[in-house]
Amino acid sequence: MLACRQVSKSYKTERGLVTAVAGIDLDVAAGRFVAIIGRSGSGKSTLMAMVGGLSRPSAGTVEVGGTDVWRLSETALAAFRNERIGYVFQFASLLPTLRLIDNVALPAMLGRRQSTAATYAKASSLLDRMGLGGYLDAYPSEISAGEQRRAAIARALINDPALLLADEPTSDLDEQTEIEIMDELLAVNREIGTTLILVTHNLALAEQAGQIVHIANGAIVT
Amino acid sequence: MRLLANLALQNLGRRKARSLLLIAAVAIGSGVVFTGATLMRSIDDSMAVGFTRLGADMMVVPEGALTNITAALLTVEPTDLVLDADVLAKARLASVARAAPQKIARVEHSGIGSHHELVDLIGIDPALDFTIQPWLKEKLGRGLRAGDVILGAGRDAPLGSQLLIFGKPHLVYGKLGRTGVGTHERGVFMSFATLEALAASMPQRPAVLAPGKVTGFLVELAPGATALQARFAILSAVKGAKVVTGDSSLSGIRQGLAALLKGILALMVLMFASMAVMVSVLFSAIVTERRAELGLLKAIGARGAQLIGVMVVEAVIATGVGGVLGVTLGVLVMRLYERSLVYYLDNIGVPFVWLDLPHTVAFAVGAIVLAAAIGAVGALYPAWRASRRDAYDLVRGEG
Ligand SMILES: Nc1ncnc2c1ncn2[C@@H]1O[C@H](COP(=O)(O)OP(=O)(O)OP(=O)(O)O)[C@@H](O)[C@H]1O
Ligand SMILES: [Mg+2]
Repeated sequence: MLACRQVSKSYKTERGLVTAVAGIDLDVAAGRFVAIIGRSGSGKSTLMAMVGGLSRPSAGTVEVGGTDVWRLSETALAAFRNERIGYVFQFASLLPTLRLIDNVALPAMLGRRQSTAATYAKASSLLDRMGLGGYLDAYPSEISAGEQRRAAIARALINDPALLLADEPTSDLDEQTEIEIMDELLAVNREIGTTLILVTHNLALAEQAGQIVHIANGAIVT
Repeated sequence: MRLLANLALQNLGRRKARSLLLIAAVAIGSGVVFTGATLMRSIDDSMAVGFTRLGADMMVVPEGALTNITAALLTVEPTDLVLDADVLAKARLASVARAAPQKIARVEHSGIGSHHELVDLIGIDPALDFTIQPWLKEKLGRGLRAGDVILGAGRDAPLGSQLLIFGKPHLVYGKLGRTGVGTHERGVFMSFATLEALAASMPQRPAVLAPGKVTGFLVELAPGATALQARFAILSAVKGAKVVTGDSSLSGIRQGLAALLKGILALMVLMFASMAVMVSVLFSAIVTERRAELGLLKAIGARGAQLIGVMVVEAVIATGVGGVLGVTLGVLVMRLYERSLVYYLDNIGVPFVWLDLPHTVAFAVGAIVLAAAIGAVGALYPAWRASRRDAYDLVRGEG
């Protein structure tokens, strides 16, 4: 499903070259649940971004479902992000000027493979599933941070992605909310069979994963 | 796409004060350009002297005729002096491209207008005329016939209605647009034959109605010929004629004005250019401010063109609305000052004629399109640059 070969990312800064990820090899089979753990600044988010088609690696390759992601054209890469990847960010990431239902429907509307009616029906049922059935017409600023994160998960699922990437989706939420949200993600992995890669600081949660990847200083430690 | 268009629109609403300022700035710019261009062209057209405005370069009249150069209007007072109708045709002058003969009979008690009104009945040769028929604003859907008359813009009888001249019925065949040329505004035009048929009903037959005689000619120069060449050629070929050209003292003023207007035009171009730069700077800032959202859009699969589209649509809506507002303001301002402007110009002897509607509409559309284009161009570059960044960098607020 996922095969990373020597992926690296370094940033040019005023202090010189900063290496965020240094040659990671990672294989994930389809349908698995993988937890990525590591200290702050170890390069977890950077790795996720390279896997999800959001950040071009300085070196190495990322293959998702047999596609060499970073050799795709710009248009094909956009379609890849749109159709194959569901991304949940570490921070609030809804568009503030769109209603929740529009936020969730947006990725499907960008691709336009379904009718608007079908898309909105699906968006509504996803929000329902995330316990947000009563907030379809609400704007992001009108709901809590935890609810926003749930809406972001609904958005990530709208196009039935093969790979769900969740980068510390509960970092700034209380424990109870964290458990609820994690349950949703694990349910998606279990029930729909979506491959789930989750970055987390919660070791108890990581224990539940089929595979734990520990990153330190941009490299995998075993 | 509706959601993206919605996004662009909502974005404008998010920073209302900024959007309004941008719209206001563009409105002022395009309003000034639209109003300036329309006024410039109107004044320029209005300054064209008398027959020059009608499309002729000079006028050939009998030597003793009184030419009225007191105003911008350069017309010939109808007199009993006449020229032979065929003098110019016989002379075959190389410097003359076209010559339109006219018979002007100034009559009283004709039944047109008020009782004592002096009315100019102007005979034209429809085949040779090039100064009257081009001004026809409306006409019946057929050719000009005997018994038909064409009315100047200053007379208001409906098209197709009957008009009694010296008791004889005539049909209003057409009406002229505003020419600003006095004799034309209130003139009654007809073919030579129609005028001739009227002669019998007149209390006394004007000299100009003698067969083979005309009041004068409106002359168009041959391409490349100068007014001076034509003047000498005509004077040596036609005995007892005088040539009136448009180069009165007023054309000096007109040239000065034209230079001034060109200067204003250059300023307007500069203003538009600086507006484009301003919009571009503003949109660089707006794109920077929105990069996290643009990154997010990119992350969920928006293509580069869609990202650019959101920003460009936002810009085009703002500047386009500004353009529409500017043109509307321009129209209002011109309406407001119309009276005083027309009055002032009339006072200095320039009968004011507004630019015709099609041209005005073209200027309005041009100003709006230009304003919208400035928005598009201004937003395009910053949006394009942002669209090429990594989504992750944008989301993190870099780039
Ligand atoms: N755009 C950038 N420019 C310079 N350095 C960067 C950039 N992005 C990330 N880094 C550096 O790369 C390293 C890894 O960052 P990353 O965000 O991947 O860490 P992380 O493991 O996700 O941390 P956290 O748990 O705090 O989210 C950090 O040292 C960070 O400072
Ligand atoms: Mg991180």
